[in-house]
Amino acid sequence: MTTAEARTREAPATAQPARRTGMRAGRVAVALVLPLLAIVAWQVAVWVASPREWILPSPAAVAQAGWDARDRLWFHAQWTVLIAVIGLALAVAIGAGLAYLIARSRVAWLALYPWVIVSQVIPLVALAPLLVLWFPPFVAIVLLAVLMSIFPVVVAGVDGLRGTDPDLVRAARGLGASEGWTWAHVRVPAALPRLFTGIRMAAVFVVSGAVVGELVASDRGLGALTRLSAGQFETAVTFAGVALLALIGLALFGAVALAERMALPWTRRATRRSS
Amino acid sequence: MNLLWVMPAKGVDVPHGHDIRVSGARLALGDDPPVDVLGGVDLRAPVGEVTAIVGPSGCGKSTLLDAIAGLIPLDAGTADAGHDVALMPQRDALLPWLCLEENVALGARLSGMPARDARDAATRALQRLGLAGFARHYPHALSGGMRQRGALARTLLSGRSTWLLDEPFGALDALTRSEMHAVLRQLHAQEGPTILLVTHDIAEAVALAARVLVAGPRPMRIVHQVPVDPDDAAGTGRAVLDALRAAGAVA
Repeated sequence: MTTAEARTREAPATAQPARRTGMRAGRVAVALVLPLLAIVAWQVAVWVASPREWILPSPAAVAQAGWDARDRLWFHAQWTVLIAVIGLALAVAIGAGLAYLIARSRVAWLALYPWVIVSQVIPLVALAPLLVLWFPPFVAIVLLAVLMSIFPVVVAGVDGLRGTDPDLVRAARGLGASEGWTWAHVRVPAALPRLFTGIRMAAVFVVSGAVVGELVASDRGLGALTRLSAGQFETAVTFAGVALLALIGLALFGAVALAERMALPWTRRATRRSS
Repeated sequence: MNLLWVMPAKGVDVPHGHDIRVSGARLALGDDPPVDVLGGVDLRAPVGEVTAIVGPSGCGKSTLLDAIAGLIPLDAGTADAGHDVALMPQRDALLPWLCLEENVALGARLSGMPARDARDAATRALQRLGLAGFARHYPHALSGGMRQRGALARTLLSGRSTWLLDEPFGALDALTRSEMHAVLRQLHAQEGPTILLVTHDIAEAVALAARVLVAGPRPMRIVHQVPVDPDDAAGTGRAVLDALRAAGAVA
């Protein structure tokens, strides 16, 4: 066995899991420093300035209001999560399909891609009333969620499919692989890491899309709750709703990241090795 | 690696094809403006032999291999190597999302072998090349030499009688490269494919090939042919270097 081969052997597994857990806990702690500092600063600012609670409630008041309104929050959160999940699923399915079409076909590239980009120039918030006019509220809200989140999926998918390592394609073609086989077995798998990057971004945007739709066209969902509670000067509940929205966005982002880790184990190991 | 126990793979039958013949091959690439890459290449690589092409970087050697493999059409001339051609690029180009065994099995799968048989053939090929313990490893967990051996195993399992090797060992360190030369020699002795090897390393060409074709700078043409004298590798190397100098490919 060569020295190079010997180097590829895994280091002894003992003590590795504990060390890894410790490192992960350390990373989480570092990531939490900034939001904790912000909450402390907010609490201190409220103590010092003593604004009226309907203008700026303290973090403690928000937490209390959130706990008191937990049933309402849960009721509305379920709706928002449902919209976001459906919207994300549709954005991924349609976005990945569009990306494949655009990357594969020159005609689709010329006919569709410019419009995909132009679609992002239109402020989608301004489209919301029109969508509500044309479609039932649920459909309009899901549509907004899809429109808000599909762009990164398409762009990342197209980039991934068109940016395949030419050597991989050449090697496959050089072994007699057909164009179709090369797309299915080389270009598509090679594009998955970039596609997942787009899906992670979409997971965050889709919540914004759902909220915009709920603000305009629904009396259910956290978007509707924040509108209604702000109108009734329940500012602490509004804050709690916003915090819950952030958590939903984070959870969706985390779920996509987890799916990516499970679906693409080779990228995780490659990253760890090269870091 | 002990090559004494490298035995022919059961069930892998590499057929013997025919000469590689290229005649008057011309090709320009790009549009703005087109660049002449092949300037009328004529060559013959005899069946069952290893023929090396040595030339300066960027002279069009890889493009020539692509044309022979049928991946790009020529503007003029012909390139014929039959249908049993396997091209192996400079980098191992193992698919990073497949383990080594799955990567090697691809060669057999693409030649039409059923999945289970391809897997078995890959297992045997990895054993032949001393990689049995690394079958389930992803490419990134392997050394450059191991990945290159995996790529050779994949080429072997393609069942093709003609191998086009595009600087296959160029990225390896000297020790690993020397080891890979031994692996290739052994595979060639056992399987007898026709090999066209592109390299910019004169020593490698002399060590592996029966004849060395010297390519001039772009647009590429074959300007000289040097038969390798196994008893005088240094003299052959000098002859190749002189031919490269005469062609203006090296200073």
